[in-house]
Amino acid sequence: MTGYRDTRLANHAATTDGTLASPMSTTPSPDVLNPPKTVALVGNPNTGKTTLFNALTGFRQRVGNYPGITVERKTGAIRHELGETQLQAIDLPGAYSLNAQSADEAVVLEVLSGHDPSSPTPDLLVSVVDATNLARNLFFTSQLLELGMPAVVALNMVDAAEAKGLTIDAEALALALGVPVVPVVASKGIGVDSLKKAVIDALAAPVTAQCPSFPACVCSELDGLCESVGHADGECPTAGAPSERAALLQTLLDPGGHHEEQLIKRCGVRLADELAQRRQRIADSGESIVEVEAKIRYAWIERVVGDVVKRVRPPRKPRTEKVDSVLTHPIYGFVALIVVMTVCFQAVYTWAGPLMEAIDGVFSQVGAWLTAVLPAGPIQSLIVNGAVAGVGAVLVFLPQILILFLFIAILEDCGYMARAAFLLDRTMSKLGLNGKSFIPLLSSFACAVPGILAARTIEDRRSRFVTIMIAPLMSCSARLPVYTLLIAAFIPAKPLLGGFIGLQAAVMLGLYALGAIVAVVVALILQRTVLQGAAPPFLLELPSYNLPTPATVLYRVYEQGREFCISAGTVIFGVSIVVWALGYYPHPTSIAADHEAQRIAARQSAPSPEFLDMRLTEIDRSEAGNYLRHSLLGRMGRWIEPVVEPLGWDWRIGTAAIASFPAREVVIATMGTIYNLGDDQDENSIGIRAKLHSASWPDGRPIFNTAVALSIMVFFALCCQCGATLATIKRETNSWRWPLFTFAYMTALAYVGALVTYQVASRLI
Amino acid sequence: MRGNSLLALNAGESGTVFGIVGNQLAAKRLADMGFVRGARLEMVRPGAPCIVRIDGACVGLGAGHQASIALS
Ligand SMILES: Nc1nc2c(ncn2[C@@H]2O[C@H](COP(=O)(O)OP(=O)(O)OP(=O)(O)O)[C@@H](O)[C@H]2O)c(=O)[nH]1
Ligand SMILES: [Mg+2]
Repeated sequence: MTGYRDTRLANHAATTDGTLASPMSTTPSPDVLNPPKTVALVGNPNTGKTTLFNALTGFRQRVGNYPGITVERKTGAIRHELGETQLQAIDLPGAYSLNAQSADEAVVLEVLSGHDPSSPTPDLLVSVVDATNLARNLFFTSQLLELGMPAVVALNMVDAAEAKGLTIDAEALALALGVPVVPVVASKGIGVDSLKKAVIDALAAPVTAQCPSFPACVCSELDGLCESVGHADGECPTAGAPSERAALLQTLLDPGGHHEEQLIKRCGVRLADELAQRRQRIADSGESIVEVEAKIRYAWIERVVGDVVKRVRPPRKPRTEKVDSVLTHPIYGFVALIVVMTVCFQAVYTWAGPLMEAIDGVFSQVGAWLTAVLPAGPIQSLIVNGAVAGVGAVLVFLPQILILFLFIAILEDCGYMARAAFLLDRTMSKLGLNGKSFIPLLSSFACAVPGILAARTIEDRRSRFVTIMIAPLMSCSARLPVYTLLIAAFIPAKPLLGGFIGLQAAVMLGLYALGAIVAVVVALILQRTVLQGAAPPFLLELPSYNLPTPATVLYRVYEQGREFCISAGTVIFGVSIVVWALGYYPHPTSIAADHEAQRIAARQSAPSPEFLDMRLTEIDRSEAGNYLRHSLLGRMGRWIEPVVEPLGWDWRIGTAAIASFPAREVVIATMGTIYNLGDDQDENSIGIRAKLHSASWPDGRPIFNTAVALSIMVFFALCCQCGATLATIKRETNSWRWPLFTFAYMTALAYVGALVTYQVASRLI
Repeated sequence: MRGNSLLALNAGESGTVFGIVGNQLAAKRLADMGFVRGARLEMVRPGAPCIVRIDGACVGLGAGHQASIALS
C-alpha cells in the first residue's frame, strides 16, 4: 500500500498538461478578485465522468468502456453563458469508496481533501452516477455528501437506463438526497446546460444534504477519535472539518487500510493502540467493523431508491449476457481472444501494405527530384540523405500505426477489454500479477508510458510493480517499423495454415509473442525474488457491451497519428540530421582525389563501354563507402563492431541500435541515413528496403540475411530503448532503483537473445 | 444454510449475502461495493474468477473474494 505517495509526484506532471484554460490568464485582474470556482467530477469507475468533462469543457480527454481509463486528474475551464462566475472542472479517476484501495483512488482522495498541493481544493462536487446502476453508485455519493461541500448529482446514462426499462424520478431523488439531481446523457450532451446551471445555483446557495445516521457506538468512537486526533495536531487547518471526520470514519472502519497508514504516519503509533481499542468496543457492541458502513448506507439507499426507480418493463436477458456466454467461456473465450488478436495483427500487416508503398513512392520521387534540382554537395546530401531519407523511412509506417490503434480503440470502446482481463486473471495470478495487469500490458502494445500509468488501478503494490517492470517488454508501436521493414525484406511471403495467416504475419505475431513470453518468465522470477508475496484476488466490474462510438474511436486514431507525425517531424528528424552529419563529415578531399584518379585510369584502359560503366559504378560505391568509413560515425562504428559482430551485425547496424537507445523509433531513420550515405549507386531511390538488400561486408557477402534480420528484431523486441519509459517508471515507483533495474535486465536480455537467435538461425537457415 | 460461500453456487443459481468473513484487506471494499447482508447475487459464470450479477451489474471476483462472501 506504499504506492500511494508516489502519485503525488505524478500529479505535478498532470498539471503541466496545459489544460488549465489560458483565457483566464490573459485577463488576470478579475481573477484575483474572483478566482474560478473548482468543480470536481467524482464517481464510480466507468460512469462517464470523462465524457461529461469533455462535454463541459470542450476537451477531448480519452474515454472508453472499461473501469479505470482515467488514472490522473485533468483540469479545464467550463464554458458557459450563465453570468460572471468562472468555473473550472477537474476530471478524476473513478473510485468506489473514500477508502482508497489503489493508487488511482488515492488521487481522488488527495484532491478532495485538499492535500494535493498542485491542485485547487474543489468548491463543489459533481457526483456522477450511472442511472443503470443507481443503488451501488449511491454508496460513494452518500460518502461524498458527508464531506460538507456543495454537491450536485449528475444522473448519467439515463438513455441506457431507459433502454433497460428503468425510469428514475430525478425530482424525488433530489428530495431524498437533499441536493440537486440533473439527468444527463453525457455522450450526447443532453442535460449538460441544466447541469451547469445547477452547479452555479448550488455554489450561490448551498444546501444541506441528507445523510444516513450511524449506530451510537460508531458515532461515539468517531467523536472520540476526532478529539484525540484534534489534540494530536491542533495546528492542522482541516482538523474538525467534515472532510476530516469522513476520513477518520474510514480510518476507524478499515483496519490496515490507506487512511490508517496515513494517520499513523501523521500522529504516531500511539494512535494504533487507541484505534484497536475503539474497534474492539464497536465489535463488542455487535457491529462488524468492515461491514457496518455498508450495512447502514445500503439500508439508507434502499429507502431512497425504493420510490425513485420504477421498472416500466420486465428485464429481458440483456444482449451483454448472450455475448458473454461465449466471450467469457473458459474455452471459447480463449479461442475468441486468440482470433481477435490474430485478425488484428493480420490487418495491421496486410491492409497497410498498399498505403505504405504509396507513401514510400512519394518520398522516393521527392528524393529523386531534389537530387536533380539541387547542386551536389553537403546541402544536397543533407536534404536528400538526412532529412528525406530519415523522415520518409519512418512516415511509411503511419498506416500501420493507425490500423493498430483503430483496433485498440474499438476493443476498448466496446467493452471487450474487461472480459479479456477476466479471462486472463487465472493465468496472470500464477505469475504474481492480476487480471487487471492485462489492461496496462495491452496498452503497452501501443506505448509503455500510458501502460505504466494504467497500472495505477492495480490495488496491490507488488503486482503493480511487477506489471510496471514487464510492461516495456510488450512490443510497442515504435517497434513495429523495425519488424515490418525487416520482415518485408527478408522473410518470404508464404501462406500458412491454408492461407489463414501468412508466414510474414506469423513471424510478426511471433515477435509480439516473444515479448509476452519473456515477460511471463521475468514476472515469475520477480515474484520469487525481489517482489515476493501472494497475488491478491481479482475484483473488476464488467461493463455492458456498447457499440463503439465512431467519434471516440476516430479521435483516438487521429490523436495517435498526429503524435506519430509530430515525433517523426521533430525527434526523428533531429536525430536523422545528427546521424547524417556524423556520417558525412569530415569528408576529406583526399578520398575524392584518389577516386578521381581511379576513374581516369579506368576510362583509359576500359575494353568496352559496358565494362567502363560497371567499373565506374564500382568506383562510385567505393568512394561513398570510404567517406562513410572515415567519417566520425564510421570511426565510432568500428569501435563497437567487435561487440555486435557475434550478433551478425556490421558496424552500421550497431551504430543505428546505439543511436536509438534514447528513443527506439529513430532506428529506421538512422539506418535509412547511414545506408543512403554509404551507397551512391542509386541516388534516385531512397527505398530503404533496396538499400538493405544491397548492403555488403567488405568481402562482398551481403550483410543482411534472414538470420541477421531475426537477430535485429529480437534485439529490438527485448531492449528498453526508450527514455520516456524509464522516466515514467521513476515517477510511478518514486525511486531510481526500478528504472535502472528495468534498463539493465532488458539490455542484457536483448543482447543474449539476439546472440542466441543469430547463432542458431545462421546454422539452421 | 449458514456457512455457504459464493464458491458453492452453480451457474444460474442465486443467493443472498449473509456477510463478509475472513480478515483480509479487501473485506471492506467488497462490502462497500454492495456485497452486504441481504444483497441478492446471481452466479453468471462460476469458476475462479467467477462472474456474479449484483443489482444489475456484473462483477468479476477472484477465488479469494468468493470464499469470503458468505451466503445465507
Ligand atoms: N449510453 C451512454 N453511454 C455513455 C454516456 N456517457 C458515457 N458513456 C459511455 O460510458 C463509457 C465510459 O465513459 P468514460 O467517460 O470513460 O467514464 P469515466 O467515468 O471517465 O471512466 P473512468 O475514467 O474509467 O473512471 C464510455 O464508453 C462512454 O461512451 C451516456 O450518457 N450514455
Ligand atoms: Mg475517465
